Amino acid sequence: MTVSPPYDTPAPQRTLEPDAYRARVAPAIGDAAYLASLKKVTQYYVATAFIALFIGVLLGPLQAFNYAGINVYENPILKALLKSYYQGLSLHGVLNALVFTQFFISGWLLYLPTRDMGARINMKFAWGTYIMMTAGLLIAAVPLLLNKATLLYTFYPPMEGHWAFYVGATIMVAASLLVAGQVVLTWVGWKKQNPGQVTPLVTFMSVSLWMMWLVCSLGLVAEALLVLLPWVFGLRPGVDPLIAKTLFWWTGHAIVYFWLLPAYISWYAFLPKQAGGRIVSEPLARLTFVMFLLNSTPVGIHHQYADPNISNTWKMIHMFLTFLVAIPSLLTAFSIAGSLEDAARARGGRGLFGMLTHLPWKDPVVVGQILAMVSFIGGGAGGIITASFAFSPVIHNTAWIPGHFHITVGTAVTQTFMAIAFWLVPHLTGKRLVAPKVALASMWLWFIGMMFFAVGMHWEGLLGVPRRALISAVALPIYKEGYMHSQIPMALTGISGVILLLAGLSFFYVLFATLLSPRVDDAEAATPLPYSETISPAGRSLRGASPLVRATEPLLALWVVAFALVALMYGPVLMRLTQNASLVPGCNYYTTVQSEVGCNEQR
Amino acid sequence: MTQSPFKQSPVKRLTHATMEKYENVWFGIATAMSVLLAVAVFASFVSGTVPRLEGEGGAGHHLQGVVNGRVDPRNLAGTPFSKPGVVDNADGTQTVFVVARAFAFDPGTIRVKAGVPVTFHITSGDVLHGYYVEKTNINVSVIPGQVSSFTTTFKTPGPLNIVCDEYCGTGHHNMLNKIIVEAPQP
Ligand code: HEM
Ligand SMILES: [Cu+2]
Ligand SMILES: [Cu+2]
Repeated sequence: MTVSPPYDTPAPQRTLEPDAYRARVAPAIGDAAYLASLKKVTQYYVATAFIALFIGVLLGPLQAFNYAGINVYENPILKALLKSYYQGLSLHGVLNALVFTQFFISGWLLYLPTRDMGARINMKFAWGTYIMMTAGLLIAAVPLLLNKATLLYTFYPPMEGHWAFYVGATIMVAASLLVAGQVVLTWVGWKKQNPGQVTPLVTFMSVSLWMMWLVCSLGLVAEALLVLLPWVFGLRPGVDPLIAKTLFWWTGHAIVYFWLLPAYISWYAFLPKQAGGRIVSEPLARLTFVMFLLNSTPVGIHHQYADPNISNTWKMIHMFLTFLVAIPSLLTAFSIAGSLEDAARARGGRGLFGMLTHLPWKDPVVVGQILAMVSFIGGGAGGIITASFAFSPVIHNTAWIPGHFHITVGTAVTQTFMAIAFWLVPHLTGKRLVAPKVALASMWLWFIGMMFFAVGMHWEGLLGVPRRALISAVALPIYKEGYMHSQIPMALTGISGVILLLAGLSFFYVLFATLLSPRVDDAEAATPLPYSETISPAGRSLRGASPLVRATEPLLALWVVAFALVALMYGPVLMRLTQNASLVPGCNYYTTVQSEVGCNEQR
Repeated sequence: MTQSPFKQSPVKRLTHATMEKYENVWFGIATAMSVLLAVAVFASFVSGTVPRLEGEGGAGHHLQGVVNGRVDPRNLAGTPFSKPGVVDNADGTQTVFVVARAFAFDPGTIRVKAGVPVTFHITSGDVLHGYYVEKTNINVSVIPGQVSSFTTTFKTPGPLNIVCDEYCGTGHHNMLNKIIVEAPQP
């Protein structure tokens, strides 16, 4: 047997640099003060994100109990804190899905490409965006806490929130656009300094993701600036709810990929090393990200199958394009499975079970991510069902939907971010992970809890239980006739609430105890960025690179294509809607104060 | 220099060539699956198992006061929505006009005939609501300023719950009504 040491993978045809297979090492940054500042801003983003998640997660079980038929909102202590179930749910949705993700991703994807390129970014600007994002958060938080923006984190007029909520949310999104701009421009600078070079994988993935966000966030930006703000400030006589909803889903669909892809970056680039394997193929990883850049945005109308006055043809077109988004996800499944198999083989695993048993099952970083991926298999399959025009009406807006997105964003993404935190926090701070065993347990508990949750909620949804509803307080007989068929799934959901509470508490204990512990290590040496070796690298020089690498490298051009695709898929729809716009007055029925209830006929 | 742990691997490692082969097969499967999915849904759509919404100017939208599927929610008086309810048409079919308002549908209970095409026109007088008929695949958004229209035929007699499945305020969970499907009279 001939094995060419140290790798048994000879370069195919092309002549890649011999060290292209080796794990990358982040370019050294000599300026200690700069590095410390960069790490600090990242740490602030990440810590803010997890504080938001902490509060959000504490509210989760209250909702789970509701879906178990138990109304805890009559409890006087809770009543003093939250005006209604819906206020609790709004906080839960906003903190978890908007604040946690936004802050974590902004920190994570500012830091990674910056280190990967060895770039010197303007730290004043970086701090400025953090402060701006936090300011936006605080502005939006006031009406949320006062029950003046209990909108369930949607932007569906004519249900009207306090203007401060829209202003705060807009500032938060604008801040993330500035982070995106800083990363993209840093990359453009890198390209200028390194002509003919292939963009390193992590930078490539980060930049294409930020480009995707810049395309998809336009919908939300347009909704805020052109529709919502002029309306809440009384500059417009009313609002067209359908136009607003369409703009919302332009962003609202692709935003799920904005959440997911930062997890993919970890799975592709770092998990192989953490598990002891190699990246399967860098060109394939790049193709995946390009497919998401092009294909994740122009598909949002699949969220509007139930809406009138959008043509069925456009709905069908968006459905077809949505199905194509499954391809890069399936490619990812292939790649990661390959990396893990490689890791198991490296550790002596043979056969199906050998593959499974030879992975580092004691490491919370690896276990968290593997469980997250397992959860995403179910989530992905469910996504195909929701995307289908034929199945969608059966489960649209039922409990099925929260069942679905808690195993996608609530587990695949959140649990990956949690697992990342187990190494990222030590990497940023030089502190050591407190209680790794508790960390490991928290990952299993989260996964098991979410599996219970998913089964319970999907099942309730199939039985017709609607989402976003205080069903435990329904007075009418329908509750007994209808929903009571769902005792078993209701019990599962209730149990999941308890397990998830334990999971959350153990995770946050580890995280906060680590953050508060003393600094003991030289972080750069003790916890380096976990770059992986590669089976099929992209190489460093564009000249020797494969056709796929050369085709995916011009990201700026691909970005233009992404804009064009959105214009093509949304232009005609929005044009028709604006031609037929019908403005209606704002209403607000979510506050329990009688005098504030009702529609504002004056506008 | 970091020592590669893989040299000691007692098991044969994966190679570029093997991976590439499987990768291509997998890519083919993924693409074929996506196309198949779309074809399947398209087929179910054409065969009429999906209650499709009638768009602007489509059938049933030649209603008084409704232009391009739009209606003024502040002024439903001049439209058929001023008197929500069930209309028996001359050809034996039925038309239903529903107005959703927080937190009830108007009319409260609807009686329709089994085995007969029933066309629904639904609009909202205030915020977004949902019109979800349990145990069916009827599930449409109800939007102020817009009319949602669709035609369906109820096969089996019996009561069905109507659930508002779009959050509309503190009473959202109590926004429930009924359709009673009646057996056809001989
Ligand atoms: C302790 C863990 C959690 C529990 C027990 C939990 C439970 C729930 C339940 C039962 C609902 C449905 C409420 C309803 O439709 O009325 C819900 C909604 C939601 N959850 Fe969670 N959740 C948890 C964690 C998370 C995480 C980690 C995320 C995202 C990162 C998340 C994001 C959301 C969002 C966006 C909604 C929808 C709000 C809406 O419909 O407006 N949840 N959660
Ligand atoms: Cu309603
Ligand atoms: Cu409702």
